[in-house]
Amino acid sequence: MAGLAGTGDAIRFALKRDRLILPVCIAGLVGWMAIYVISYSGLYGTQAELNALYESVAGNPALVAMTGPTGGLHSLGGATAWESLPVVSIISGVFAMFSVIRHSRAEEEDGRTELLLASGSGRFAPLAAALIVTAAALMVAAAGYLVILAAWGYEVGPSVLLSLAILGFGLVITGTTAVFSQVTGKARAARGLVGVVIGVAWLLRAIGDTGDGTLSWFSPLGWAQQTRPFWENLWWPLLLPLAATGFTVSLSFWLLARRDIGSGLVQPRPGPSAASPSILHPLGFSFRLQRGTVIAWTLMLFVYGFAVGAVGNNIEDLVSSSAAFTEALGSVGGDLLDSYFASILSVIAILGAGFTISSVLRPHAEESRDRASLLLSAPLGKLRWVAGHTLIAYAASAVMIALTGLGLGIGLGVATGDFSQSGKLVAAGFAQAPAMWLTGSLALLLFGISSRLSSLAWALLAGFVLIWTLASFGNLPEWLVDLSPFSHVPAVPAVALDLTPLFVMTALSIVITAAGLALWRRRDLL
Amino acid sequence: MSAVIEVKGLVKNFGSTRALDGLDLIVEPGQVHGFLGPNGSGKSTTIRVLLGLIRASGGKARLFGADPWSCAVELHRRLAYVPGDVNLWPNLTGGETIDMLGSLRGGLDPGRRKDLVERFELDLTKKASTYSKGNRQKVALVAALATDAELFIFDEPTSGLDPLKEAVFQECVKEITGKGHTILLSSHILGQVQHLADTFTIIRQGRTLETGSLEHLRKLAASAGKDPGSLSLEDLFLGVFSG
Repeated sequence: MAGLAGTGDAIRFALKRDRLILPVCIAGLVGWMAIYVISYSGLYGTQAELNALYESVAGNPALVAMTGPTGGLHSLGGATAWESLPVVSIISGVFAMFSVIRHSRAEEEDGRTELLLASGSGRFAPLAAALIVTAAALMVAAAGYLVILAAWGYEVGPSVLLSLAILGFGLVITGTTAVFSQVTGKARAARGLVGVVIGVAWLLRAIGDTGDGTLSWFSPLGWAQQTRPFWENLWWPLLLPLAATGFTVSLSFWLLARRDIGSGLVQPRPGPSAASPSILHPLGFSFRLQRGTVIAWTLMLFVYGFAVGAVGNNIEDLVSSSAAFTEALGSVGGDLLDSYFASILSVIAILGAGFTISSVLRPHAEESRDRASLLLSAPLGKLRWVAGHTLIAYAASAVMIALTGLGLGIGLGVATGDFSQSGKLVAAGFAQAPAMWLTGSLALLLFGISSRLSSLAWALLAGFVLIWTLASFGNLPEWLVDLSPFSHVPAVPAVALDLTPLFVMTALSIVITAAGLALWRRRDLL
Repeated sequence: MSAVIEVKGLVKNFGSTRALDGLDLIVEPGQVHGFLGPNGSGKSTTIRVLLGLIRASGGKARLFGADPWSCAVELHRRLAYVPGDVNLWPNLTGGETIDMLGSLRGGLDPGRRKDLVERFELDLTKKASTYSKGNRQKVALVAALATDAELFIFDEPTSGLDPLKEAVFQECVKEITGKGHTILLSSHILGQVQHLADTFTIIRQGRTLETGSLEHLRKLAASAGKDPGSLSLEDLFLGVFSG
């Protein structure tokens, strides 16, 4: 097929370009799995300990919503699979998204694909190479999971199933990304759309798993979990991701054959010939640049809050099956539903901090795309420009997490007819904001030190996620848990509101923000 | 009256690379000054120091007698800048971008904006992501030329323009020089520079080689044993670099 001519060269080129980042990503995925394997085998050595884990977790609707069905927790393998499968799947999905777009749509957007196609490559070669490289990396990572599991003495058959289930989700996202890369002409938009797909996949199975399970079957993440490794060991659900991957990949090539190189299926429309007054102010202009992201995130978090709130009052049924859990909760004090909502808000805040970081780092994107010099050669102070973006980041973060709380309240109200909890839940959402600000201020500090360090902020967030997942089971030393700002947010509305940590975190964010801005003022533009 | 741009012994290091190595550049008020040199000789770096985007490692750089790094905002009210590589916000139209950049400089003259858009034949309703390099450059040119800046800094401003629009650019520059504005013009189109500029600075590897009027450069060539006669700027430039 002439369209595929040059695929081999394109693969070699992609591997050469990613010779550093690809091994790092694969090692990161395998390492993440290893953390679960090592900590679980260390902590749950005896059947009694596993039974205790089951008792404390099985009825906890928040953990079921976050992670998945708990039926396998009686065995070490089942417990390890329960927690590692969704998390490693999502991370590998995010990797697949970045990798496919980096080698196909982003290349095309920057005009490098043209160069390649003009020198004899077939039009399908860049996409084919992107898919092959990404799929191969996911397969190497899956082999890595298997090696880790086998090395720690997990049964081989179910270990293969677990590795394949995670691989399956990664491949579905690979294919989905390929489709969206044809639809839109912009890498950024494509990443946003795939992000929504991953979010919806997680949400559908969260609702399904805390309800009657039907919706879980509409989610690729749900498919992975339905294999139930080390428990029921079902192989046939692997056919679902296989079919979905085949379908999306074929669809992407079919679409690619029908569009122009350098644009998507959706063409940008003409716009106004003069600016509206709202962008004629520096802050208004910065907001205009962030508007799309802010609206998308706010909507997504609100809808998620609403969905969780609406099914919230069903959790009582789930909990009544676990006496130990109800007891444990009783000792903490507070209403069952309240502590459920508190842990939901905590997770959403950690994910929402992803927005805070990307929003704080908007000037970094402007700087690396060389658009900043056009602004900063006008009478716009360096400090004022970055401070404006930071302000937008902090304000939007607070609004979206408070609206998540409102979504919970309204969802609950729609289900029960009682909207009286809404105010309390908005406040509970807002209580998470200082932790998001603190995360954002650390990103700003890195940006202030140097443009190149900025991306390290994402590693920081990954650390907070890891601390959260492991800390939920009390597996971590106190000092390590304390490193994450999200560990210091009081679990309102389940417990009384303690303002001290919130004030301390707010004060810290102000100081660190000031330091970041001062460093930025002193450094050269890239 | 003191010089608009005064650069003496300017040094800029990026890590262990020395981009500017004692560069000198003087531009007097009302001058159109041609700033010439091969690729990578440090023209853009000098301009970025003058704009206060990067900080000098050594030597002296003054704009209107003030330090461009510490007085950036005040100085930027008096100047307009057009880079050679114009990167715009993909989701904004050309019209929105021109108005936004203009508003940062305190607003544009609407009549002047309209006139420039017509002369450059720019479609203002297109999103920047669909503009070609030349069209992106027109956006930056209109935004700069529609302001009433005292100093214009052009860094290869016409490298993507077609010959017709390049002629429009030359006309526009002639118009503003008539009104006493100062211009620093860095360009590889030596015919254009000779046509517009009255003084020149030629640099190489971060150092100033020659500076002065065309006549002065011709005299230097003559003293090197060449026939000065009617040497063009291009001849002189090539002469400097072929030894």
